[in-house]
Amino acid sequence: MNDHDELLDALYNHIIDGEREPVVKATKEALELGIEPHSILFDALIPGLEEVGRLFEEGTFFVPEMLVAAKAMTGAMEILRPLMAETGAKPIGTFVMGTVKGDIHDVGKNLCNIMLEGAGFKVIDIGVNVPEDQFVEAIREHKPDAVGLSAFLTTTMPMFIPTIEAIQKAGLRESVKIFVGGAPVTQEYCDKVGADGYAPNASALVRELKTVLGITS
Amino acid sequence: MTMTPRERFQRITQFQEADRVPIDTGSHVASLHRISYRNLRDYLGDSDLKNADVILDRMVQNVIPDEKFLQRYHVDFRWIAPNWINVVDVDSDKYRDMWGITWQHMIDAYGVFESPLAGATLEDLDRFNWPDPEHPDLWKGLGERAKYLYENTDYVLVGDSIKGGLLTKALQIRGYEQMFADLVGNVAFAEALLDKLLDLYKAFWTGFLKTVGRYVQMVYFTDDIGGQQSMMISPDLFRTLVKPRIKALIDHIKSQADVKFMYHTDGTVTPVIEDIIEMGVDILNPIQTSALGMDTAVLKELYRGRLVFHGAIDVQQMLPFSTPEQVRYDVAKRIYDLGRGGGYIAAPCHNIGADVPPQNIEALYAAAYEYGQYPIQLDHVLSEEDRRPPTQAEIAAQSTVEKQERRPRRSRA
Repeated sequence: MNDHDELLDALYNHIIDGEREPVVKATKEALELGIEPHSILFDALIPGLEEVGRLFEEGTFFVPEMLVAAKAMTGAMEILRPLMAETGAKPIGTFVMGTVKGDIHDVGKNLCNIMLEGAGFKVIDIGVNVPEDQFVEAIREHKPDAVGLSAFLTTTMPMFIPTIEAIQKAGLRESVKIFVGGAPVTQEYCDKVGADGYAPNASALVRELKTVLGITS
Repeated sequence: MTMTPRERFQRITQFQEADRVPIDTGSHVASLHRISYRNLRDYLGDSDLKNADVILDRMVQNVIPDEKFLQRYHVDFRWIAPNWINVVDVDSDKYRDMWGITWQHMIDAYGVFESPLAGATLEDLDRFNWPDPEHPDLWKGLGERAKYLYENTDYVLVGDSIKGGLLTKALQIRGYEQMFADLVGNVAFAEALLDKLLDLYKAFWTGFLKTVGRYVQMVYFTDDIGGQQSMMISPDLFRTLVKPRIKALIDHIKSQADVKFMYHTDGTVTPVIEDIIEMGVDILNPIQTSALGMDTAVLKELYRGRLVFHGAIDVQQMLPFSTPEQVRYDVAKRIYDLGRGGGYIAAPCHNIGADVPPQNIEALYAAAYEYGQYPIQLDHVLSEEDRRPPTQAEIAAQSTVEKQERRPRRSRA
């Protein structure tokens, strides 16, 4: 095993352990050693966050572990993002995310954003309590591959329906995949409101989204 | 022989059958949303059904159900809830509670808008303007009401929660994401905050029980640790940081009054039910059957004779989206699974939301009364599949979660 592999292994483990400062330090060291930003991201950070997602889905990790891993990842991304922009690296897709009108819950939404960014997506978070027309505007402006509608309550998830209708009326339905999620949401409800995809957790969302968009990496 | 509600409660909490399964409704997390209550009133055509505008908990916008409602549906419990103090209206859409947490209006309830300790350090905890657990308005009128109900009725009297438990309050006052991160990344702060809340809640309960302790048979607090698909925090974290403090609070409560203690956590909590029993919990609420793994037949098999179950009639997926016939069937299933041999109190597992049709509310209570008569005989109602005991595999699947080791890093091919 060479220095490069050792550093990438360390980075991978620091991400899984949610240690932000060691992640930042190791990222800088890796760059000094001449490892490409692209390699740091795709050979250590993203695999680390994917492993966090797997451990979450398997019931070993929980929300706190996922949150600190994500914060650690952000530390590295702040260093890598400008360097990668220089080399013209593109995100694997664009995602607009918001909590529907009448609902201000955001923990689940934010976890999804983190996992999506960790997987290489560009995420535009349009916040909570988002009216239908703001979803439409964001789709017009950012031309995302997919949009996510989040709701935490059975009484707010019906807002999926007018939001999807508004997207349809604006003539944007064919240009964007629509995902729905949140505690009470089920696959059945997703089908009922005519969305394209549903996932029970943030890690599964990444997988489902890649499948629906036909991304194989 | 017909029993009084208190006799009924005593029997079933000793894991013996009574004349029927007790029925409960009316706590701050198991009442009716004002819209569903009003819809029910209009459906019944009963303009005498009062309290449609008498809010019990401003955050969730539920009502204090009218006595007429409670009697109509054979509710055995009467709840005594602490008064809310020092609530400030911030604007037409927001209020601030006694903890300094700002809540924002949503479609039909309120959610956390601003957490006062979001940027706080350890030192800030001492400087923070904590609520006063000795504020006299907290218990105003409660002693008289409890005494009256104790002496003049046979209902089971319950001291409702001082809203929010240790972890729940910490999450709200610190901000959910920050507190979750503190629990693994800034443990000293997390512990200091939980300890501060423990001290305060002990003082709150001292005052509350001084006022109502000799009249109530049960007390209750809420502290959510379960999510829809898994626990919110790991069982290990729960055992290290949360469980000892909740136990200390329950011990304190039980040292102040001779009461059964009911603990409320939404969501799935199957990995820690043994821990919950060890904390001194007599009754577990609300058994959210729509959360992963909360299988009533398995729960009864595992904890029969050790834990009373309260709730289990699902307000998230079942009540809003079922026909009255399906509601009746689901209630029968919960009574069959949990009620045989005592140890079950039938109740909606949370507030009955604005999206639940009145027909389903009627069906819920009618079925709980009809099917809850002992001895439980539901062979004619439930399918054979719904009456079979759980298999060993089903039991094992619920009670054990195998921890996974992390896999080593792999480079791209």
